Amino acid sequence: MDLFLVQLLNGLVYAMLLFLMAAGLSLIFGLMNVVSLAHGSFFMLGAYIGLSIYQITNNFWLALVLAPIPTAALGMVVEILFLRPLYRRGHLDQVLMTFGFTFVFFDLVRSIWGSNIRNMAVPEALAGAVQIGAGIYPVYRLFLIAIGLALALILWLCIERTRIGAMVRAGVDDSAMASGLGANVPLLFTGVFGVGVALAALGGVAAGPIMGLYPGMDSEVMIPAFIVIVVGGMGSLRGAFVGSVLIGMADTFGKTYVPSMALFLIYLVMAVVLLTRPQGFFGIKHMGSSGNIPPRNAVATAPTTRSRIIGAMVVAAMAIAPLFVNNHQLTLVSEIFIFAILAMSLDILLGFTGLPSMGHAAFFGLGAYAVIVLASLFNVDPWIGVAIGVLLAAAGSAFVGYFCVSATGITFLMLTLAFSQLAYSVVVKWRDVTGGSDGIGIPEKPAFFIWSLESRMVMYYMTFGFFILCYLGLRRMIASPLGHVLVGIRENEGRMLAIGHNVQGYKLLAFIISGTIAGFAGGLYALFNGFISPDAIHWSASGDILIMVMLGGGGTLIGPAIGAAIFLLMKNLVSSYSDHWMLIIGCVFIGCVLFFPEGLWGTFRRLKPVRAS
Amino acid sequence: MGHIPSSQTGAGVMSVLRTDRLCRSFGNLVVTRDLSLEVQRGERHIIIGPNGAGKTSLANQIGGQLRPSSGRIFLEDVDITGQSPDRINRLGIARTFQKNNLFPNLSILENLRLAVQARRGHTLNCVRPVAHYSAVLDRARELAAIVHIEGEGSRLVRHLSYGEQRQLEIGMALASEPKLLLLDEPTSGMSPLETQRMIELIRDLPSDLAILMIEHDMKVVFSLADRVTVLYYGEALASGTCAEVQASARVREVYLGMAG
Repeated sequence: MDLFLVQLLNGLVYAMLLFLMAAGLSLIFGLMNVVSLAHGSFFMLGAYIGLSIYQITNNFWLALVLAPIPTAALGMVVEILFLRPLYRRGHLDQVLMTFGFTFVFFDLVRSIWGSNIRNMAVPEALAGAVQIGAGIYPVYRLFLIAIGLALALILWLCIERTRIGAMVRAGVDDSAMASGLGANVPLLFTGVFGVGVALAALGGVAAGPIMGLYPGMDSEVMIPAFIVIVVGGMGSLRGAFVGSVLIGMADTFGKTYVPSMALFLIYLVMAVVLLTRPQGFFGIKHMGSSGNIPPRNAVATAPTTRSRIIGAMVVAAMAIAPLFVNNHQLTLVSEIFIFAILAMSLDILLGFTGLPSMGHAAFFGLGAYAVIVLASLFNVDPWIGVAIGVLLAAAGSAFVGYFCVSATGITFLMLTLAFSQLAYSVVVKWRDVTGGSDGIGIPEKPAFFIWSLESRMVMYYMTFGFFILCYLGLRRMIASPLGHVLVGIRENEGRMLAIGHNVQGYKLLAFIISGTIAGFAGGLYALFNGFISPDAIHWSASGDILIMVMLGGGGTLIGPAIGAAIFLLMKNLVSSYSDHWMLIIGCVFIGCVLFFPEGLWGTFRRLKPVRAS
Repeated sequence: MGHIPSSQTGAGVMSVLRTDRLCRSFGNLVVTRDLSLEVQRGERHIIIGPNGAGKTSLANQIGGQLRPSSGRIFLEDVDITGQSPDRINRLGIARTFQKNNLFPNLSILENLRLAVQARRGHTLNCVRPVAHYSAVLDRARELAAIVHIEGEGSRLVRHLSYGEQRQLEIGMALASEPKLLLLDEPTSGMSPLETQRMIELIRDLPSDLAILMIEHDMKVVFSLADRVTVLYYGEALASGTCAEVQASARVREVYLGMAG
């Protein structure tokens, strides 16, 4: 059979899997304005539940039909118990909530089914291959295409021809109006969420025999599905279908005919679509409609004498701390300082400008890889590597920012996420330079002036010094005219435009500042760790930084630093006596989003009696 | 940027704002139809019309929030059609909004300061604290006084009374030092007493400032207008002095008749 036809069919198979994910994501977004980051987790969960049913009953069809039911039930429970209380609070909190659940589900899957790849056999009835033209093609893949098309048709009929479908369409258009016309909107939300989850779970089972099952298969399909709905247009079923076919084909044909470019092709498609048609092909909601994240923490007042004294005491305590702690703790605190710098840099975007980036780790990675790759391949001095890394991070954030800053809210989040996954794939595939998924290291740590960084004490004081420097620098920027403009953009972007501020320009500037500092933190991390692997720039690493900021309190500078400390302390403490640190940190984070939306520092600051200055 | 100061081309001859056969529709709904109007230097030009006449859509097109379907908008002979709102502001049109559109979580002075800062630069400075820019802060205080907002400037805007917030809207627009002030229903939702104060506030604005204003309250119109244009389903039904417009039979029929 000719290669072209095979690719066409493979493209369609991939497109149908994407559609099963994207349809649910898109409907959920259209109706509730929530992008469920846990959607991939439901895909994975569905696949594993299907696997268990298959093993018990030895019947694939039963697995395919039954697995979506408990998964959808779980999804609806999540929606009712955890998302519903947040509908009044703005959509970012819900997105963060679903992110917390990715930790929980990942941990669950790993502890129930183990972390090895599990294979699922193709059902006997579909095991063979058929003759098409001059060649043969697996029946199971044809079955996937058929099931995808059938479900697309059924969904379309439900949406267009039924009463419930009309309510969903009305809800996508204007949910307040839909409830005014008598639709039970909360029930509709739960129902659509459940259907979306069921489709994802079904996709998971169907994909099982060709993809294999492993913890982490969730992001394998979720990122392309995000790109699909960005390209196709959020909230539109037709968009999800057309986007799926386009991305499925682009990816499949790209891998065959332009293998060197294949990786970039779907991102290229996304960039072109966004530049020419920002709302996607069939976008119902324009990108700008979701708005910036709502303010959480009020702008800090000028430091009082008392807060200066307390600050000086904390700094003094940190300065003499190495006398009292062991080497292991010293290393941990050094790492905290580096991640505090990283979290503060994200907060410039997230907390101060109101732009939720889910791709911040990419710039961190750029800085870190620059140091290590240059040192190990070209013998460049690591400190020069840090400088080059910072410049690369600045350039990279200017490039990515150019595409992202015209978007706001959830769309911004998805775009940054897509770009960071692009960086991740480049690092994984470019083995000669980056060492691929094994990572890459430098043989020995350089000196900091005359002191060797092999000494933990030197490392501690160096990272401490840079942390203080970054903190003071950023505090200065927040108090400057530029910092005030950024807060103005967070508070009311439309009015900032109407009083004559070039909002796009300032957002880009904030993006570059934020990315550059992240690159610097990455450079420090390379010196600190001597090793870097793609895990550091995976989208979930970006999510970790987001968690740090939100735990401590977005819109403050101390908050993210505290959040970084809590996150790393928990990760280290919990993982030393339990395998379930992801479950625990996921739950802590979910609780934090529910009960302390201002973060710990933000809550503390609000409870503290305010003194008139 | 072909901006020519009006004094060189003869004051009074050239209009500050001119729209030329402006059209805008949403699908089949035409909100602006072939609208050509002018605002002269120092003129108080008021747009009236029943609900749905396309008044705010017109303001949004002039302010850059909405792109016209066809037609052109000129500010002192500079074509500003379809420019972004921030650019239009920098070129010389500052606007207020029908619904308060402020920074509710920031203080009065910070609201004004952000607006002054957009005009007076320094915005790219990321080292020097804002507190050191005393000229900007002084101007913000001055503006608060101009729009009759008294008391502590550090109060958060969300704690101000509705009327004070409406006044602040105008202060924010004045901070841009505009050639044309575009006011979208400055008295909407106000009590009679607040409305009276707003009339006085607008009357006290510099007499050479061109003002295009959308208004519902006839009392405000009669107290301030040099020229009135009546919009009806996106079309200019009549335009002239208060007396001329009142005398128009068409206007009586479709507008004043309806208003009772």
